[in-house]
Amino acid sequence: MAKNISEKIDDLKTGVEWFYSEEFKLEDAGEKYKAMTELAKEIEKDLAELKNDIKVIEEDFSK
Amino acid sequence: MFMEKAQQVYSVSDFQAVCNQIMETAFTGVIVEGEVASFKLNQNKFVFFDLKDDQSSVGCFMMAFALRFPIEDGMRVRIRAVPKLTNWGKFSLTVQAIAPVGEGSIKKSLELLKKKLAAEGLFDKAKKRPLPDKITKIGVISSTQAAGYADFCKILNERWGGLTVLTAHTQVQGMVAADQIIRALNYFNERGEVDVIAVIRGGGSADDLAVFNDEALVRAIAASKIPVITGIGHEVDESLCDLAADIVASTPSNAAQMLTRDRREIAANVRADVNRINNLLNSKIDEITEVNRTEILRVANEIYRRISSFNNEILAQRKILDQLNPEKVLERGYALLRGDVAEGNEISLLTAKQEIEAKVMKVKERK
Repeated sequence: MAKNISEKIDDLKTGVEWFYSEEFKLEDAGEKYKAMTELAKEIEKDLAELKNDIKVIEEDFSK
Repeated sequence: MFMEKAQQVYSVSDFQAVCNQIMETAFTGVIVEGEVASFKLNQNKFVFFDLKDDQSSVGCFMMAFALRFPIEDGMRVRIRAVPKLTNWGKFSLTVQAIAPVGEGSIKKSLELLKKKLAAEGLFDKAKKRPLPDKITKIGVISSTQAAGYADFCKILNERWGGLTVLTAHTQVQGMVAADQIIRALNYFNERGEVDVIAVIRGGGSADDLAVFNDEALVRAIAASKIPVITGIGHEVDESLCDLAADIVASTPSNAAQMLTRDRREIAANVRADVNRINNLLNSKIDEITEVNRTEILRVANEIYRRISSFNNEILAQRKILDQLNPEKVLERGYALLRGDVAEGNEISLLTAKQEIEAKVMKVKERK
């Protein structure tokens, strides 16, 4: 199932944290950085495409 | 006597009933404005007062539960009423709704009601609920024709998306507005499908915004099971609904801001995150390169030091060797003698510059 924006943002945060963690390895960093850049682009695209669904309720509140 | 042929004769009761019927048809809900005099509340159920101006006065009657604002003698009010001829032949107005008008009356009524509701704890800060962490459905109560609603939707759409917004279209000013807003509040609370309810109304005069000081509406907001945010009027306006709400936004646009995250800000943060790791990565590479460079320099220095040390050693050995070189001794003026040194024997002598053949003339021991 495709991830929503919040989940993708969480993934990005986790990815960024890896660069500051003890697990950081220079050999893996290039690949990770590429993946984070792709994820950031995806998030920006998703953000730009998000639309709200605004509906006016049919109920008549004057009665 | 006093009768034309076809003229109808009424009983008193019938005449009174017909008069009321005609008046009800002619004035389905007449709006009258005037000053309150002789205000009386009987048995906490029935309200009587006169509505007057400088020339006329009319008696008014209403049920106490319909009294939505505290009213006192001298206040200027607007009523919606049905004219009625009572069984005793007295003309009066049966009031359906009443609201103070004019800055002085609104302010006075507001002060009285604020004091009363505050004493009941409706505005207690401890009862305020924060906005839910995750908002996916918003219930909006507003007039869909109002500029404030348009502002709210515009900011909401600019800032965030993916939300479901259910709008209950109600009037947001005038005597019927409070009841419509209460019905909308009840609608959302009964269904329980929205995360938050936003009561929205743009700026207006004190009269326009008076509905948001309606006692029943303030109570409905305070009693809402779903958190309520108000975005009513401009920054300077503060209504009793604001005091009763869980969260107060200064304007409709501000309410939209408080309910949503800003997608532009998130996009900027995402870009900043990527830049940050890019810088971090570059700095780590620089750091490692620097460590390598230092290490290489250290090794090179060590090699150079060792070579120098070997060179010095060799130089020293060479100096010693030089000192031991027989040629150097000859250069100092000595000679190397070869042969058996005995009188009459031939010997050879080697100096720095010459090879000499000689004959031993005499040998004498040194003392």
